[in-house]
Amino acid sequence: MFADGLFIGFAILSVLGAVGLVLFRHPMNGAMSFVVTLISLAGLYALLSAKLIFALQLIVYAGAIMSLIVFIIMFLNIQPSDLPKEETKLFYILGGGIVVLPIGLFLAKIVKSMPERSTEIIGNNFGGVKEVGLLLFRDWLVPFEIVSILLLVSLVGAVILAGKRGTIK
Amino acid sequence: MEQSVTYLGLIPLFPLLGSVFIGLLHVFTCNKTKLPEKLYGILACIGPVLSFVLALKVFFALKGLPAADRFLSHKAFTWFSVGELHIDMGFLADPLSCLMLLFVTFIGSLIHIYSIGYMGGDKNYGKFFAYMNLFLGSMLVLVLGDSPVVMFVGWEGVGLCSYLLISFYSEDRSNVLAGNKAFIVNRIGDLGFVLGMSFLFWGIGANGFDYLSLKANVQHLEPTIALVVCLLLFVGATGKSAQIPLYVWLPDAMAGPTPVSALIHAATMVTAGVYMVARFSFLYAGVELAGSIVAWIGILTALLAAIFGMFQEDIKKVLAYSTVSQLGYMFAGVGVAAYSAGIFHVFTHAFFKALLFLGAGSVIYALHHEQNIWKMGGLKSKMPKTYLTMVVGAFALAGCPPFSGFFSKDEILYSALATGHYGIWAVGVLVAGMTAYYTFRMIFVVFHGEPRDQHAFDHAHEAPAVMTVPLIILAVGALFAGFLNLPAIFGGNQMVTHWLAPSLTEHHPHASVFVEIIAIGASIAAFAIGIKIAYAKFGHGASAPSYTGFADFAYHKFYVDEVYNAVIVQPYKAIGSSIWKVIEPNVTDAPVQGVSKLYTVLGTAFKVLQVGYVRVYAIYMVLGLSLMSLFLSQSLN
Amino acid sequence: MIHSYLYLSIILFCLGIVGVISRRNVFTVFMSIELMLNAANLAFIAFSRVHESMDGHVLAMMVMAVAAAEAALALAVVILLHKHKSKLDTNVFSLLKG
Repeated sequence: MFADGLFIGFAILSVLGAVGLVLFRHPMNGAMSFVVTLISLAGLYALLSAKLIFALQLIVYAGAIMSLIVFIIMFLNIQPSDLPKEETKLFYILGGGIVVLPIGLFLAKIVKSMPERSTEIIGNNFGGVKEVGLLLFRDWLVPFEIVSILLLVSLVGAVILAGKRGTIK
Repeated sequence: MEQSVTYLGLIPLFPLLGSVFIGLLHVFTCNKTKLPEKLYGILACIGPVLSFVLALKVFFALKGLPAADRFLSHKAFTWFSVGELHIDMGFLADPLSCLMLLFVTFIGSLIHIYSIGYMGGDKNYGKFFAYMNLFLGSMLVLVLGDSPVVMFVGWEGVGLCSYLLISFYSEDRSNVLAGNKAFIVNRIGDLGFVLGMSFLFWGIGANGFDYLSLKANVQHLEPTIALVVCLLLFVGATGKSAQIPLYVWLPDAMAGPTPVSALIHAATMVTAGVYMVARFSFLYAGVELAGSIVAWIGILTALLAAIFGMFQEDIKKVLAYSTVSQLGYMFAGVGVAAYSAGIFHVFTHAFFKALLFLGAGSVIYALHHEQNIWKMGGLKSKMPKTYLTMVVGAFALAGCPPFSGFFSKDEILYSALATGHYGIWAVGVLVAGMTAYYTFRMIFVVFHGEPRDQHAFDHAHEAPAVMTVPLIILAVGALFAGFLNLPAIFGGNQMVTHWLAPSLTEHHPHASVFVEIIAIGASIAAFAIGIKIAYAKFGHGASAPSYTGFADFAYHKFYVDEVYNAVIVQPYKAIGSSIWKVIEPNVTDAPVQGVSKLYTVLGTAFKVLQVGYVRVYAIYMVLGLSLMSLFLSQSLN
Repeated sequence: MIHSYLYLSIILFCLGIVGVISRRNVFTVFMSIELMLNAANLAFIAFSRVHESMDGHVLAMMVMAVAAAEAALALAVVILLHKHKSKLDTNVFSLLKG
């Protein structure tokens, strides 16, 4: 009962945040509402007994990635004249919604054909650090290592891209 | 029953290998240091001489077999096998092909030896012998082939070599045109040959397409198809053997070197048509109408060519028309179903015509390539060997007993008379007289009387031994070859006719001795009258005549070439050029270019989609995804 | 009920697509892509709960790592673009035209 109420609350918050992201003109406002979405998603993960992912979502996504984005938005010192003039924004959004509608309906149809399952919170032996760690370092070891290489690559790429033009040539 | 012998395959192989080898030698050295001519000469003569030795071996092998079993065969490899058609590259030596083999290789070798002397100093010496060996190899494939298809391979090969050798002196455009004419006219005949072969295959080819199978199955062939096949094959023969209407290439073919005229256009290639009809004697013997048509076209060609020959001034053209005329006799012979008589005339004609051509070559060589008889004269004192051998050849050609030409020609005329073809016999006798006339006209004008061109006469000399020895050998053959087929009335036992009997489907007419005596008498009388008129007009030195009226018409060969040109060649050319200028740009090029223009237009149309904004490309992706999910949700229902 | 979570995931995903195709501001576009990734994450976690296996969690972690890497690079590119034209409009960059 309490879980259902929490679910509805978090769900509404995340949708509102997403709508705000899409509708706000200034990217800072959009980023803030996106943070609201991310935090409510973290709550949803917790409701699904995903303890580690809940924590990671808050730390990595809302904490690191969003703060990076917000930092860049502020770094670029955006003036109102830099922002594009999107007078026909609503028109495009409505059009986009119509185009996207079949995709959503198709996915909804697939979901409807699946059997119902309950989502009671499981306390033990599920979703914690130990369980995820065991799986990660046993069955998913190779992908784990490859992801670390991926991070290295993006690190190098970011350094090259943002370095001064003169020194890189 | 046939026995399989491998050396049959070697007989055409030696000249062909020689041709390839000499050709390669020539190609790789003609622009650098030239190899000595003697080397080419010796290499060139090895192939023909070896083939002659093997031909003798075949002859003795066949002689050792009983008469009904005289077949030797050899299948070199399977050429192709498609459906019911299974063709091996096979060779068959039976009495007919053995006889052809013997004189083709013998005369071929002699002419190769003669050419060593005649072609001396020519810058394409090696090329000449490569082509000559190639020709001999193809002719041997033609003669030895065991199926019409293999014969056709040789048929085409000799046509090709004829073209290559006629246009040998290719700096002069008219020689090249003559070669083209020969090849193209030949091709028209070849179309008839191929159609004839196809109908034959359609009719009875299901059980094997070689001669022995065809002979065994010929009674299953419907009469109309048989007639069509006979006539179509004969069209091929008119092309190859220069009969009406496709004889026009042979006089022009004299543009080639004289040994070529001797070998190809006198002794061997042009007789391929007669050989073909004799080979298919099992077919022609059953269709009398076809035989009559063949015989009449033959004898009319003989008449026409004899008329032309009486008025020519080029020594080689006289001999060319003489060849056409004698070929007409041969076809008359095989047309009245006297196949062995026709083949025997092929055999003797090869000797005396090659002799006459080589002798003419000797005269031309001596007078430094002068060919107009009205510029010659009185040469008998300067060139005795040539004169004597040519006189022997002339007597043989004119049909004087006891020379060989008399026996073979008389055999044909007797067969025509005995089978009731009186018209053919009468025309044949007339032509015999005309033959004697024009032959001795040539001899008297060239060798007797006073020289008409003193300067050329002073420089004339007898030919070297390498050229006169073959002349002497051929003269011996021309003199004595007739005794190989001596008819019973003279006490002989017709050895050649009996030798050829297993290969041919022939019924020998038995007429009374009275008929035979009439035939012989008429032949001798015609010869006598012809030579008497020639002696009267030309024996005491005559000057170049000027022709008027019918003589002028005949001198211009009845304007046949001009008529062919106007009626056939020019319209064909006009059609070709109209296709080139009108149809091709509009009908064949336009759709192709239209397709490429279509692509350009389509490309320009699709260029509109490439706006350059990545957001729009993302929209395209989402649109596609959306349409796909629309479609999928329908099918998920 | 698991269906509710999945419907929510679908809604967020579609909102993300709408954001990508209809906005011209580069930051908004980028963050909409992140929104789509999060929706996918939610689906992973939900299914992992259904099957009671941890694989979904591990994959969600991988997705997060990829998102982090991609964020770093994308923002570097955004900075460069801003330096070049000092505009944040995706319609300004149209060198691919034609």
